[in-house]
Amino acid sequence: MKVPSIIHIQLIALRRLVVETREQFCFAAKNMFQRIFGWIMSLSLFSWLYVNIQNLLIEVLSVGPVPEHVSFIMDGNRRYAKSRRLPVKKGHEAGGLTLLTLLYICKRLGVKCVSAYAFSIENFSRPKEEVDTLMNLFTVKLDEFAKRANDYKDRLYGSKIRIVGDRSLLSPEMRERIANVEDITKGGDDFTLYICFPYTSRNDMLHSIRDSVRDQLEDKLHSRINIKKFTNKMYMDFYSNKCELLIRTSGHRRLSDYMLWQVHENSTIEFSDTLWPNFSFFAMYLMILKWSFFCTIQRYNERNHSLFEKMYEGLPSILKRKKTPMSLYQFPNPPISVSITGEE
Amino acid sequence: MIKKDDKTMEPPNGKPHKKIDRDDVPESSNHIPPPEAAVLKGGKVNSKTRAFKAVTSIIVDADEEPQKRSSNEADGTKKQEKEYWGNSIGKFEYIFYKFLLVMLYICFGLFRYGQYQYHKMKLRIFSIIYNHAYTPQLIRQDVVPLKKIPKRLAAILEIKPVGDVGGGVTGLLNDASEIVCWTVSAGIEHLMLYDYDGLLQRNVPELRMEIHSNLAKYFGSAHVPNYAVKIPHSNKTFYSLDGIETETDIGNEVGVNDEREKVAIEISLLSNRDGRETIVDLTRTMAELCAVNELSVSDITMGLVDSELKQLVGPEPDLLLYFGPSLDLQGFPPWHIRLTEFYWEKDNDEVIYSVFIRGLRQYAGCKVNVGK
Repeated sequence: MKVPSIIHIQLIALRRLVVETREQFCFAAKNMFQRIFGWIMSLSLFSWLYVNIQNLLIEVLSVGPVPEHVSFIMDGNRRYAKSRRLPVKKGHEAGGLTLLTLLYICKRLGVKCVSAYAFSIENFSRPKEEVDTLMNLFTVKLDEFAKRANDYKDRLYGSKIRIVGDRSLLSPEMRERIANVEDITKGGDDFTLYICFPYTSRNDMLHSIRDSVRDQLEDKLHSRINIKKFTNKMYMDFYSNKCELLIRTSGHRRLSDYMLWQVHENSTIEFSDTLWPNFSFFAMYLMILKWSFFCTIQRYNERNHSLFEKMYEGLPSILKRKKTPMSLYQFPNPPISVSITGEE
Repeated sequence: MIKKDDKTMEPPNGKPHKKIDRDDVPESSNHIPPPEAAVLKGGKVNSKTRAFKAVTSIIVDADEEPQKRSSNEADGTKKQEKEYWGNSIGKFEYIFYKFLLVMLYICFGLFRYGQYQYHKMKLRIFSIIYNHAYTPQLIRQDVVPLKKIPKRLAAILEIKPVGDVGGGVTGLLNDASEIVCWTVSAGIEHLMLYDYDGLLQRNVPELRMEIHSNLAKYFGSAHVPNYAVKIPHSNKTFYSLDGIETETDIGNEVGVNDEREKVAIEISLLSNRDGRETIVDLTRTMAELCAVNELSVSDITMGLVDSELKQLVGPEPDLLLYFGPSLDLQGFPPWHIRLTEFYWEKDNDEVIYSVFIRGLRQYAGCKVNVGK
């Protein structure tokens, strides 16, 4: 049946209206829900419970195996801002906050090193305002972190920050600031934070190739370049070889030129569909718990002995059954062999 | 100086991985997978009781104790700082936490078991929905509604223990040829097959025969599409069955029709050798060239390295399929996975068509925005 065009247009308009109101309603409902939830969480009892449960969980997991190097691809800040109808800047700020929170948790869990993909070299192709906003935000956060890392009473005390990446792309003023911050936090060796700013993994490899070649030219001994030496030349010092756990948020299943060298051999890569600012403690905790659980089993399999075997090993050797090699002819004779057919 | 370099390479208090050498662990590859993949791929060795034993054993194992505590005892000043936040915990507390951790592990294990069953069920349903029935037309029909397909496809294959169904080298060759058939049918012209130990590279004649017979199964022996098998590492290319004398000599018969002109698919075989080692080799060559002043350090640019590695290994694949239970890149050439989309099905352990087609579907829906 053919629908007359006037009715058809009306129908389309109606449908659009319905969709729009629904969208608005959803947004309002979500906002309301969040506000109510926030209010409940702000009750002192709940926040007390939340903090205590979180602390307990952290303490519990920290006695098990934890990854040494955890890495984040902080994707989804802009989508977050869009979904909440906030300016892009707010999204990035929220992302920065999430990172600081998770850093503290990682530190308490016993993770030695965290790296985060703050800014890709490709990101320079974004609109200029946004790049500037990011740069500003970055310097602010950097100073904040440096201050906290030096504050005796702060939870992040004793951490070291390193900015890795192609610094020639930054302004001289910025470079000076970075050098300054790195210098301030040089002493911390409990925990290292690598901020990849402007970084791409290919650039990292290229940089390593160049340095290796340069070294080789100066080296009079003509020692061969090998994988170990090559890896040492990379930006992240001795964490360059491996990153045990890479977490990428906001649903894309690709690496986007990050940590290729570190991740391509035997690392766990976790993809999460949540946007980075929404990436919560529990989501990360679950990922690390999963890693820890499987790592326990893997190590058990590698160690290749059970509790019983271990106790058995500890016994004095007299108590153990010994196997002595023996010739076949030393055995006692077997019983006489008789065939059922009666043949001799 | 060299020695010092070597030393810094050791990760601080990192435990070196040992190669598993026991009879019941499948000795399939020299590759050590990440924890989850290692456990899920272990086969029968990793039974539930074994996992339970492993988990409970951490209570008594002293060497599992985090090094941060022992290392802090070395200097007194550090220890005090730690105590400020109440981090140094007593022996009793430590055991209590370990006990809680075991409880947590057990809960997680149960949850994971449920998840495993759910994934298995999902896979079974998928294998009913997506079925190729050895008919290339059906595969093409599945692909046609997609908005885009990858130009280059890569797949990571791995050998299964000889005792299993589809295990051993024959199983591996069969898997490889199946993927080739699907790729040809889907209309993708480049395929990269990766296996860690380079078993495919070592068995090229067998692989070519296998591909030929499998293609014959799909397309009929009169219409076997032409294929080229390439080994970038040794820079060799083989065309269809050229140079292989088969008993029935099908190759000569087909030689008459003009389909022969065009190569329908190019298959590159990669192994672990094409990964880190190739990059280091390239560095070495560049250093030699620089030493004789044929190249200067400033000439080494992204473009040069990229084009060299494209020559040595091949171009970057668009989609990487993995047919294992948990993503494990196994040392796939690192330079080449820059923007590659990954696809694998959780808890799947077979080379099945549903993974292939669902991977293509994901690729069709993905949006790549470099930097933006």
